[in-house]
Amino acid sequence: MSLAYLVSLLYQYADNVAFLLLAAVGLMIILGVIDVINLAHGELIMMGAYITTLTYNHAHLPLPVCMILSVIGVGLFGMFLERTVIRRFYNDKLGALVATWGIGLILSQGTLLLLGPSMQSVPHPEWTVSYGGYSFGGYRLLLFAIAIFVVIAAWWFFYNTRLGVQTRATMQNAKMAQSLGVDTRRIYLLTFAGGSALAGLTGALYAPTTTIVPLMGTTFVDVAFITVVVGGGANPILGALTSSALLSVISAGLSSVLGTFIGRIGLLIAALVVIRFLPQGFSGYLRDIKRRRMARASE
Amino acid sequence: MKESKISKIWRKLNGPQELGHGPIFWSLFGCFAVVLLGYSLVGSVFSLSNLAIFFAYVPMGLGLGLLWGYGGVLSFGQAAFFGIAGYVYGIVAGNLMGTPGGTLLAAVCGIGGTMVVAAAFGYFVFYGQVSGWIIPLLTLVLSLIIETFMGQTAGYQWRLGRVLFGGYNGMTNIPSLSLGGVEFTGATVAFYVLVIAVTLAVYLGLRLLVNSRYGHAVAAVREDAERTRMLGYNVDFIQVQVFTLAAGLAGLSGVLYVSWGNYMNPSSMGMVAATLPVIWTAVGGRNSLLAVLLSTVALRWLADALAVRGGEYAFLILGALLLATMLFFPAGIVVSVARRWRDGKRRDSKIPPAPLQETNQTRGVS
Amino acid sequence: MATERESDSRAFLQVENLTKSFGGIRAVDHVNLNLSKGELRCLIGPNGAGKSTLFSLLSGLQKPEAGRILFKGEDITSLPPFRRVQKGVCQKFQTTRIYRGLTLSQNLLIARRVHDGIENGRLNWALKTLGLDGQPERLAGELPHSHQQWLEICMALATEPDLLLLDEPTAGMTPEETALTAEFAIQLNAQGMTILVVEHDMGFVRQIARFVTVLHYGRIFAEGTLEEIESNQNVRRIYLGEQ
Repeated sequence: MSLAYLVSLLYQYADNVAFLLLAAVGLMIILGVIDVINLAHGELIMMGAYITTLTYNHAHLPLPVCMILSVIGVGLFGMFLERTVIRRFYNDKLGALVATWGIGLILSQGTLLLLGPSMQSVPHPEWTVSYGGYSFGGYRLLLFAIAIFVVIAAWWFFYNTRLGVQTRATMQNAKMAQSLGVDTRRIYLLTFAGGSALAGLTGALYAPTTTIVPLMGTTFVDVAFITVVVGGGANPILGALTSSALLSVISAGLSSVLGTFIGRIGLLIAALVVIRFLPQGFSGYLRDIKRRRMARASE
Repeated sequence: MKESKISKIWRKLNGPQELGHGPIFWSLFGCFAVVLLGYSLVGSVFSLSNLAIFFAYVPMGLGLGLLWGYGGVLSFGQAAFFGIAGYVYGIVAGNLMGTPGGTLLAAVCGIGGTMVVAAAFGYFVFYGQVSGWIIPLLTLVLSLIIETFMGQTAGYQWRLGRVLFGGYNGMTNIPSLSLGGVEFTGATVAFYVLVIAVTLAVYLGLRLLVNSRYGHAVAAVREDAERTRMLGYNVDFIQVQVFTLAAGLAGLSGVLYVSWGNYMNPSSMGMVAATLPVIWTAVGGRNSLLAVLLSTVALRWLADALAVRGGEYAFLILGALLLATMLFFPAGIVVSVARRWRDGKRRDSKIPPAPLQETNQTRGVS
Repeated sequence: MATERESDSRAFLQVENLTKSFGGIRAVDHVNLNLSKGELRCLIGPNGAGKSTLFSLLSGLQKPEAGRILFKGEDITSLPPFRRVQKGVCQKFQTTRIYRGLTLSQNLLIARRVHDGIENGRLNWALKTLGLDGQPERLAGELPHSHQQWLEICMALATEPDLLLLDEPTAGMTPEETALTAEFAIQLNAQGMTILVVEHDMGFVRQIARFVTVLHYGRIFAEGTLEEIESNQNVRRIYLGEQ
């Protein structure tokens, strides 16, 4: 087993982790703070990809600018969604699921009608890195770096900014946060916008790597949903990290040996097994361990 | 004082958990059934075939109505179980071609096989006592994954016995159900009669179920699962049972579908297909079997009509309909209308409104 | 539905060394409790004494760290709650948790899990005594508070228990309602039901006037007849707040 082979395994692993993280983190933050699953998440990712592609193809702006436009655009759309639809379902979680699924359907079918079945993609940046007989995509490495950066930025935001702390307080106990002067409605609005913006970012980042079709969201959501289920809503960042770390082992491992489809099925089975024994996901389990440890310490 | 069997059944048929009671309703129902069956004598083969396929989806919709409306569990998996049953039927029937009773065995395998998968899935999810949002997500993922998996089975190596899976081209030449010399292909009167009979039987059977003690247990689990545990019920097991039953009904629809079209395709399990039962149940009203039955047929008819006239708009309209229903008629359109009508009648009565129930019903505890 | 069992000197309910902590606090601390068949026992103690925790351990909602629970000679410590109900242990909870959106008769139908069609005389008597036999189609959530409490007792009875655990059955009731509940408990016990009651209302406890167990800081503080307990200086002291 040569070093180069190990590096190539690591590369595949990092590639998987990046994909899972970027696909899931926006959804998980919304789940963690608002306790709502946005089933239109895939379509928000699709929107991000489309905005990037459209602005690149027609306005000929540099790619990073197009991506930033995606983030802003989808974030604003998320705000609009929260004000008009999402906030009516805070007491009806299953209702939120169904309503957002309806929105997703409208978005994907609407895109199909307005923009046709496919669109010319943004060209993939050809930055190959060669090492030991293997060649690696520099862009995919960049995506991994961005994914890690997003997680660190989110962690920093939640623990080191006033708004972040208020958001965590709302997450733990919304009523108490409210009585302490936190504007929980605004927190929910900003969280939903933020989660949507992250979805837009994912779509923008992966736009050069895939075909641009209205139903492209589905390739992201099945792994995103599994990552969310395994991670749990108790702590979005920790959950996203632990979940993607574990699932990528399974996904990369199975895919390289038996193909991507077996890889996906393996992920679903892994999710079922995890959920059977850790119903609150990894972050819920870790939270329970922490509580027990704190309890023992005070004895 | 012991109740006679007949009056027991009559009471269960008219119980509070479902819309529509009493002699007037049942006479109308009877007329409806007679008209439907009688249509087989006068309708053209084309319109019979169309109507049949609309009704063939009703068991799948009713299964979700039972699971979501009565059981409180939202599942996107009905399409997956529909497809699994269809594919299993296709494999078994295709390999047993020419064998008498082969298609019947295939139907049993199809429905049974899909129930086994559902039970296994249910075991992990319900015995883990997971949060409510996990089941819709995982069943959605199940549908997507199975669709994607079956979609890439186009190659010749993807076959079992004589039968090719076919990938996105679909599994073709699936033999129709044939019993006692009668072949139930899509374009026959026999198939139409079979579907109507099966659909009505399923509806009546479920009506009896939801008002039985078991049905009340299911409702109790929906209302307060923890409380129901404390009354001695094995709630996890009950939920697996209802989930599996719903899957079996979806499988029944799947078998009817392949018998009709001799064909099964991965897109019957994909994202849009997974949504359809949710739309039918949500729009009609998941708390009433009758509402689900009516809305399934109506929306299938609508999708068909739109497909003919301007197909691309079909799913957009359905998505908009779903959103509008969730916003403005969360109980479902049929159920909301029925409740308003009933509350209008009740305005001068002193008895407070009860769920889906008319006055002077059920006697006390039995 | 009492079947004749050979009388044995072993207790009906035997709690051995039961211990449960939350955080650093011993909510239930090596509790030993024995109930005979047909007994009517009151469990009292100041707030935070561990009475509700003890009940959760008995009904299975919480798992003990140590100790075991024997019911009719069988070790039920590791059984999940629904199995314990099937074995005959049923709890009526402190806060009512009836099916508010369903009718009275539906609530009772659900509680009568086992016996289809067979008349439950005891249940019918209970419904009549507590005034719940009219209006079966009334929505449970619309009943007045005391009736909701009584409905829960009836639902617990409907599971045909051998041991009834009542957790503060008179919470929120007027003195008249409390007296009625106490009388009801006495008559139920006279019919052979073994009952363990947690209560704060000393009027209720006095009316029942049987054997009393006092819990304090998770431990059995005193046990005896009502007269013995009432004259016990130490019990007075813990109730009046001194250490």
